[in-house]
Amino acid sequence: MTGTTAYLASTGTALPGAPVDNSTLGKLLSVSEEWIDIFVGTRTRHFAWDLATGEVHQSLTDLCAEAGDLAIAGAGLDASDIEFLVLATATPDTLLPTTAARVADRLGLNYLPAYQLQAGCSGAVQAIDLGRSLIAGGCGAGLVIGGDVTNRHLDLRRDLSRMPTEELVNYVLFGDGAGAAVLTAEPAGERVALRGVLNRFAGLGRPPGQIIDWYGITDRHTERQMISEDYKEIEESVPVMAVEILWDLLGLLDWGIGDLDFLLPPQLSTRMTQRIVEHLAVPGAREISCVSDTGNTGNALPFQQIERLLPELRVGQRALTIAVESSKWIKTGLALEKV
Amino acid sequence: MDSIAIVGLDCAFPGAPGSDAYWDLLMRGGDAVGDIPEQRWNPRDYASQEPGAVHSEMTRGGFIDDADAFDNDFFSVAPREAAAMDPQHRLLLQCAWRALEDSGRAPGALAGTDAGVFVGVMGGEWGRLRMGDHTEITPQLGAGSSAGMTANRISYHLNLTGPSLAVDTACSSSLVAVHLAANALLSGECDTALAGGVNLVLSPALGIVYTQLGLASSDGRCRPFSADADGIARSDGVGLVVLRRTADALADGQRIYAVIRGTAVNQDGRSNGVTAPNRWSQQKVVEAAYRRAGVTPEQVSFIEAHGTGTVLGDAIECAALGTVHGVERAEPCAIGSVKGNLGHTEGAAGIAGLIKAALALHHRIVPASRFADRENPQLRLAERGLRLLKSPLRLPPGEAVAGVSSFGMGGTNAHAVLATAPRTRNKAVGSGVRRDTAAGAAGVFTLTGDTPEALRRNLADQAEAVAKRPRGEAAALCWSSNRIKTGLPFRFALTARDTAELAAGLRQAAGQDLPGGVAHRPWSRPVVAFLFTGQGSQFPAMTAGLHRDSAVYRHFLDEADAALAPHTGGSVRDLILGGEQRIHETGTAQPALFAVGYALARTLTELGVQPAAVLGHSIGEYPAAVLAGVLSLDEAARLVAVRGALMQELPAGGGMLAVNASPADLRSLLDDEPQVGLGAVNGPADVVLSGAVKALERIAEILRSRGVRTRAVPVSHAFHSPLMAPALSRFAETAGTVAAAPPQVPLASTRYGRMLRDEPMDGAYWTGQAAEPVLFSSALGALNEALAPTHLIEIGPKPQLLPLAGRAGLRGDIEFLHPAPGAEASGRDLAELVAALYRAGLDPEWDALYAPRQRTAERLRPYVFSDRHRFWNRPAEPSEQTARSPKAAVRPGEPVLSLGPPAALPAEFAEPADAPPARLDALSQERDPVLAAVVEAVAEVGGYPLEQVVASARFYEDLGFDSVMIMQLKDRIEARLSSAGEISVQQLLPALRSVGSLAEFLTECVSVRTP
Repeated sequence: MTGTTAYLASTGTALPGAPVDNSTLGKLLSVSEEWIDIFVGTRTRHFAWDLATGEVHQSLTDLCAEAGDLAIAGAGLDASDIEFLVLATATPDTLLPTTAARVADRLGLNYLPAYQLQAGCSGAVQAIDLGRSLIAGGCGAGLVIGGDVTNRHLDLRRDLSRMPTEELVNYVLFGDGAGAAVLTAEPAGERVALRGVLNRFAGLGRPPGQIIDWYGITDRHTERQMISEDYKEIEESVPVMAVEILWDLLGLLDWGIGDLDFLLPPQLSTRMTQRIVEHLAVPGAREISCVSDTGNTGNALPFQQIERLLPELRVGQRALTIAVESSKWIKTGLALEKV
Repeated sequence: MDSIAIVGLDCAFPGAPGSDAYWDLLMRGGDAVGDIPEQRWNPRDYASQEPGAVHSEMTRGGFIDDADAFDNDFFSVAPREAAAMDPQHRLLLQCAWRALEDSGRAPGALAGTDAGVFVGVMGGEWGRLRMGDHTEITPQLGAGSSAGMTANRISYHLNLTGPSLAVDTACSSSLVAVHLAANALLSGECDTALAGGVNLVLSPALGIVYTQLGLASSDGRCRPFSADADGIARSDGVGLVVLRRTADALADGQRIYAVIRGTAVNQDGRSNGVTAPNRWSQQKVVEAAYRRAGVTPEQVSFIEAHGTGTVLGDAIECAALGTVHGVERAEPCAIGSVKGNLGHTEGAAGIAGLIKAALALHHRIVPASRFADRENPQLRLAERGLRLLKSPLRLPPGEAVAGVSSFGMGGTNAHAVLATAPRTRNKAVGSGVRRDTAAGAAGVFTLTGDTPEALRRNLADQAEAVAKRPRGEAAALCWSSNRIKTGLPFRFALTARDTAELAAGLRQAAGQDLPGGVAHRPWSRPVVAFLFTGQGSQFPAMTAGLHRDSAVYRHFLDEADAALAPHTGGSVRDLILGGEQRIHETGTAQPALFAVGYALARTLTELGVQPAAVLGHSIGEYPAAVLAGVLSLDEAARLVAVRGALMQELPAGGGMLAVNASPADLRSLLDDEPQVGLGAVNGPADVVLSGAVKALERIAEILRSRGVRTRAVPVSHAFHSPLMAPALSRFAETAGTVAAAPPQVPLASTRYGRMLRDEPMDGAYWTGQAAEPVLFSSALGALNEALAPTHLIEIGPKPQLLPLAGRAGLRGDIEFLHPAPGAEASGRDLAELVAALYRAGLDPEWDALYAPRQRTAERLRPYVFSDRHRFWNRPAEPSEQTARSPKAAVRPGEPVLSLGPPAALPAEFAEPADAPPARLDALSQERDPVLAAVVEAVAEVGGYPLEQVVASARFYEDLGFDSVMIMQLKDRIEARLSSAGEISVQQLLPALRSVGSLAEFLTECVSVRTP
């Protein structure tokens, strides 16, 4: 912990197009709606590309700029007040320029650090962690963004009937979206203090739980799975790690489990989230989840959850966000308190 | 001192045609210096250093592109006059328009106000070049060469009646103009001021002077505070800021770039030579400005210095600044000068610095000073609390203060202290912003232009700007466009919910080949009639979408609900929005439709849609009567509630039957069925029968056998039939006490089937109205005859009367509109209706379309003028190159107007045949020698191409004629039309409406004299 507390002043989120429900998706994938309901549980998700043609309607830059713009306006600030930008994503529009730089340009930001973090489900917390350091280093206000898009990794024009189930799951699990928050040195806007941030790589010696691959010019014709997950390992490890994160943060802040008013658990899928929440056993806290409506939007998830939290959070109330990145096992969490 | 807000600005500098480009140039550290354009003069003529030769070191400089372009048609300036005008006047006119738009208001909104104009301008090169040959002098050239006219022309063309003056204090002129403007605002002389300056390098004269003084830069670049500084480069520039008292700007919700906290002006007095700078005076002017601004030197983050880049000037300026700023301070005061990028814009130098400082405070970044990397060590800046900006400086959070210096050669010094704008948005919107986005609060984006082509040009520009924005709500942009982008003849309106949709719509409109789809030129205001719907149109949750989106509709539905509540024993509004099926019961349906009708109509009037006439069908006649001022809302609500309740109490067994036949066709059938009567006559073959269900079934059977279409109307009772009698006597008791005023708006009575005359709409009227047939068809016909409406708007929850009106065979080209066309209707439909009426000539009360939160000023790119017309005259200077320029072939004194394709409007935009003044077509011109003579004379006086002088062209509005031109016209007409005899000016004046009207008048003169 540093000496200076950073505050979350506002959030903004962007979900492209109309929600795609399981019936629509089931038909396109030739799987039963029931199967999606039972094994994933997610009801709707959004895609920034046309399911039939694959045509991309909105880029990650578009979504992140939309969310960022809303967050800046929500904080009552102008672009010229923003002193840094941190953007976390696993799916940048291009490797260079970074999506962070493109978003800065769209938002009219200039002469400020524009970091891009390569991350998955831990990205939002990593971005906030870096933002908090920048605030501690003297910045007055900054913008943190997380977002992901699936257009390069999902392709409904492929022959999906021959696709193995573990790959098919990805099509119902993920969605496109972005989220953003403005961090400030002084309480402003929503006045939510970042009491604690946990951000730990914990994957030494462990095989990856999730791999998201990409092609280059030399390997573009190789046949390999672009997204793969070790679901068994994820199912076993994530709940355990979530509990560790919970107690880690409580211990760090000297908070009791009864002090929590809200719990923002990991959002892998509706079913996994339910299992994790049971495991966490924080009876007094209200769960704030979004995955059933948004699908797994990766780096955007905690921002989407916090946006749902803010209208509920009263002065003095506390909330805990937990996110686990299973790629190479990263444990992250946030402790929030409205002042 | 109260502060002055900079609420709008526009400029054109070398390499930067607008303020965005200017900022971009500054942030890039761009170099705007270039060769002397061929249009100006040939530097080789002054290259010789031979003894006796006129020599100028000035071989390069800063020149703006398109200094010769002027949209003279936009300002109704005749080509001859435009060509005689100093191009500085022309640039200022366009700059003023754009700056005012940038301040968030349509420039036309300031017409007639006391807004002031303060223009810094140095010297008069145009006059010297053009007035040298006394034989070529014209009145236009006289006015066109006057420095004072720089400001006066803006006041004239924009009709601003406050102080209007040109300021010449040499190179400090434009900052002194700002000083005078700020003082005029503070003293209450005006409430808005345009201030700035202009400079065009038209002749080599001053370059020769600088050369002789040893002040001319060797390569046309100013290098402020650089070790390589070697003198001045001359440059073009024009810039204006729009100033308000800060309190006024905040109260009006204007965007503020920065505030001017204080200004000061002083003089060197009898110093070390009339042209030498003076350290002590410079120091004093800065100190005086700080005193007035209430700031201390260590508070000042940066100074936009005069910084001409002469060795002596730089040294004196830094010594003066050092004395003031060499105090105990955490950070040195940053200094720089835009002259490194542009060169010295002389009369516009102060405004170039002021706009740079304002933009820097707005963006919170101070651009680097070009050539700062080779800082002149002899200036000892570090010791003096100063730092030359070698890279951009990001200003720390909180208020930042900046200074701007500008010094004149004759010793008049000016300094302005600026600060960041006060926070206006510090009330955080919170994270609820996007909730309304999803709900889709649609706005109407408006754009206008003086021609269809202008509209298309600006559509493309706006499309590009909107597309660059992050996706988000479009409402604030739309509201801003309503305030700024209205007022020109050709109108465009587009309904949009978010910026992506808006950008796509604008792009599509700009790309259309046929501008008729997007450009609308209304010649008059729309004449609107409200048709209030009757029972049968109600449905559960009717108008719920509009209720969700429109605060105004919510307000008026609440009002109607409150008026009905004492009589209905519950909230009709809640019942409507709750989606209850009970809405179909007569006792509920009638109050509900009354509430919806009242709320819809009042929503429209709040939007500025005032009906020229109203008509109500059955129960719809009640809200129509309220709108017309016949009944008070409370009285009408009472009658409606009682009427509905009494009718509901009637026994079942009544019904209604819609029949596609005329009343005459049904006469004999009705004679056979006394329990059935005519319920409504909706059209020539649209009749509704009302009465006992059994009898209706018999009639339906007979009609079916005759092949006549019938349809049972889903109602519980036989309205407007003999079966109503039991309810009517009781209703008459209630209605008897009603106070009825004469209608304030013409009302077509569906009881009488004609316009209401002197008959009172009292209790007896309303009792009879319930019993007798609804004569919709004849009432609508009468309304149409009496008022010739251009638009019929149905007031109800879905289209029911409009299809009937469509079959009524009404005369005239009538557009049908509906604010809430059915179950899917939302605020968007209301916005579409307002957009349609705007295109047709209505000027709506736009505010009512938006929630207060959406009524925030967004910056829109300013108007893009046509650069098709170019005006330039070769100066009467010795030059061997004269023959090279095609434009030089023109005799001096002749207007040099290069035109693209003819500006004639496509036929679809021409004034309609019946619109005044009478239009004479090209054919008649061929046959009519008088008209031909008039056209030739007008073209000659104005310098217009012949094809632009059409018969409908108006002298003042379209052709920019003034008294001087009229005298010239009179002479030329007399010369051409000797047969018309001598005509006095007094005789001529009334005929000078349009070219056509003058031709008609002269034709009469000719015919009188030649019997």
